[in-house]
Amino acid sequence: MNRAYKIARFTVIVILASCVLSGTACLIIYLKLGLAKAGAGLAFLGICGLLGLTPFMYRKDRGKVWCDERDIEINRRAALIGFCTAYLVMGLACMLPFFILGPRGTASVQWLPMIFMGGGLSHYLAHSVAILVQYGKGGGQ
Amino acid sequence: MTKNGLTNQIRRHRFNHGEMTQQQLADRVGVTRQTIIAMEADKYAPSLPLAFRIARTFNLTIEEVFMYGDEQSPQQQNPGA
Repeated sequence: MNRAYKIARFTVIVILASCVLSGTACLIIYLKLGLAKAGAGLAFLGICGLLGLTPFMYRKDRGKVWCDERDIEINRRAALIGFCTAYLVMGLACMLPFFILGPRGTASVQWLPMIFMGGGLSHYLAHSVAILVQYGKGGGQ
Repeated sequence: MTKNGLTNQIRRHRFNHGEMTQQQLADRVGVTRQTIIAMEADKYAPSLPLAFRIARTFNLTIEEVFMYGDEQSPQQQNPGA
């Protein structure tokens, strides 16, 4: 199991955990306190900050070579999938309010950083899932 | 066979060269052991420079290590040669 596989697995776990926790928190706060304060549940997305620790948690693999042409190709394809997903998510996030609220509708500017964050999270998630799928079950063994 | 129709005889040539390990071959050609495993399982088609490096490690031509489609290697076509 190589370093890229371990980092991708950790990324998927952290992002999914933070999304599930923040979604649950938003729902609970919405049911208890109403829609106005439900956004506070998104604070659980801060768990994604753990991803900054990955360079320290997973050191470079031992041996002469720890990254070769296959790893670069896998990462390139995964990055492409990640950016395509982020583009799709941000496109949908921008277009759906237009169709739901209509051309004369208004939306709070608070949505803008959320759209940006959603695009980033979807990119990281899709990138990591693509890496896991390409390396297969054994993580490149 | 890989998606692009490439097969190889890396495993056979490794054993013909003093039972060279996957790690030894990987170190010689400058890739990870996982890439050698993927190539031997026909899950990864190497780049042309890497294919040349592998063939030269075995002192063979590239056609003797890598085959395209259903073709056989020159050694398989002429076993006595």
